[in-house]
Amino acid sequence: MARVSTRRIVLERTTALVVTILFLLPVCWLISTAYKPSNQIFSVPPRLTFTPTLDQFRAAFALFDVAALVRSSVIISLGTTLLSLLLGVPAGYALARSRSRYSAGFAYFFLAIRMIPAVAALIPFYLMMRDIGLLGSWWAVIVFNTMLNCAFVTWMMFSYFKALPPDMEEAALTDGCTQMGAFWKVAVPAVRSGIIACALFCMMFSWNDFLHPMFLTTLDAKPISVALLTAYGTKDITWGTLGALAHFSTIPIVLMALVMNRYFVQGATNGVQ
Amino acid sequence: MAQISFEHVSKTYPGGKAAALTDFNLTIKDGEFLVLVGPSGCGKTTALRMIAGLEEISGGTLKINDRIANDLAPRDRDIAMVFQSYALYPHLTVADNIAFGLRVRGAKPDVIEKKVRETAELLELTEFLERKPARLSGGQRQRVAMGRALVRAPNAFLMDEPLSNLDARLRGQMRAEIARLQRLSAITTVYVTHDQVEAMTMGHRVAVMNRGTLQQLDTPRQLYDRPANMFVASFIGSPPINFMEGTLVAHQGGAALSCGPLLFPLGSHAQRLSAREGSKIIVGIRPEHLKVAPSGAGPGTLSARAAFVEDLGATLLLHLDQHGITIGHANMVDDDRDLMSIAPKLKALVDSAARVVRDDNVHLTVDPALILFFDPATGAAL
Repeated sequence: MARVSTRRIVLERTTALVVTILFLLPVCWLISTAYKPSNQIFSVPPRLTFTPTLDQFRAAFALFDVAALVRSSVIISLGTTLLSLLLGVPAGYALARSRSRYSAGFAYFFLAIRMIPAVAALIPFYLMMRDIGLLGSWWAVIVFNTMLNCAFVTWMMFSYFKALPPDMEEAALTDGCTQMGAFWKVAVPAVRSGIIACALFCMMFSWNDFLHPMFLTTLDAKPISVALLTAYGTKDITWGTLGALAHFSTIPIVLMALVMNRYFVQGATNGVQ
Repeated sequence: MAQISFEHVSKTYPGGKAAALTDFNLTIKDGEFLVLVGPSGCGKTTALRMIAGLEEISGGTLKINDRIANDLAPRDRDIAMVFQSYALYPHLTVADNIAFGLRVRGAKPDVIEKKVRETAELLELTEFLERKPARLSGGQRQRVAMGRALVRAPNAFLMDEPLSNLDARLRGQMRAEIARLQRLSAITTVYVTHDQVEAMTMGHRVAVMNRGTLQQLDTPRQLYDRPANMFVASFIGSPPINFMEGTLVAHQGGAALSCGPLLFPLGSHAQRLSAREGSKIIVGIRPEHLKVAPSGAGPGTLSARAAFVEDLGATLLLHLDQHGITIGHANMVDDDRDLMSIAPKLKALVDSAARVVRDDNVHLTVDPALILFFDPATGAAL
């Protein structure tokens, strides 16, 4: 291994530190906002020292049903994730094992669905949901997000299954499995890290999604991402309440990312083990 | 226990240039160890996968125990297959890999445990039972793949080049081991390889294939002594057989072979070949059948300069320049066409006591009874 000079190490670490601070600064600002008394939030210059208070959280809990908001977010993102995997994983497998020369083309077509501006589909979808009476419910958002995410999952699982040699499934077939058994017992466990990566993508997308639930849900099905905006009052913006509420929007997803980080990196970069 | 037979089986892939199998007929007897051998792309793996039910049959009939199996699902054939890549299930331990087939078929847990233990003991895998395949060496993985097949006592074993990923020493060891296990279990086994040493040493019978057709089905000894055509003659035997062009001439009342400046009396072949007198013929002489002539140059001896000598320890492999003799190759596979552009040399495998060195002039003789003759037009043995 080549010797790395001290100067280079210092330079690299300084750059990393500066970039990290740049990215963390807004987050720190947001968090600190939630613990500052309202009159100190916009003090110029910004004060690094202040007496922490939980007033903003009290206000947030008084104004919002935080538990219901988080519950809506959880239901929408879990529902989307489960449905997307349930449809996308077998579809990706079918495309990967298809002998048609159009199979790769199909997979890229699915990816293209994910690329279309979601707003373009939102208006016809809004009307469809209205007509079947699902508008305003969790289901409307789950179905819409599943449409987008499952296309992405299909494409991603297509490449995972494509990289998996068919020998193992053939071994399972001769061992006595049905085609379905070979898929569930052998192919699916073999691409587990890919499935986890897909699940994380779906979760994050749905959890942070603002636009679709904004249009498709009503008050009782509203997720936290939409509720954040309602901290914008008609007369003023309650930044402190927003900061407090933002805790419940970011902490679950950050925790999940930390716990699943290993699978995420593995799945997104390594491909099949 | 099963007898497997191919009747006029063919296979064409959509968009494929040539048929993978053409009018393939072969009966594998109950309890037999049959080796399918041939160069890559000869259709041997296709034939094997047809038995397993992993490959569709385009035409003809495949029978397992006299029952037509063309459209039978793999799971209904009760056949175990060992894959070239081993195809172990990476998420399962060795024990679970071996037990997989029994579990899928709904065996009782105590029966599964007993059988897995027995199989592991037989293959010396007991201490690795709780490991995942990723933590095993190549040889151990190979044995797990064998174990997965052996544990089930199926109708037949199918093996697709199971030893090709092992190093030479381990390969030799497993070759003997697989042959021993087969004799022990007496379960019909079809073994695919491109390695002629495996073909010669392991099987009761060997089917030599080329370009989707069966060239010869015989015992290893017969393949070596009486090859049906030039392809079989050149594929079986290492180093490969020498082919030379010659003419049959009348000589002292009997037939003799004129090969450039050489004149061989034909001995026992004379009567059989007398009808071909005056016509061209291809002569095959195995390198190991050429002997250094004790008496030096003379009639019936071949004199040549050693262009290159490979010392193999017990033997010397001589590459000889022989002017005046047309030395040819059997028409093997397309890849080998490149080889034909290099002027072939006559090869002789002689005892290392001969002490031949490069540029020596060597005199060689051959027992006429060991010479093989082929039709130059068809390549068939005469």
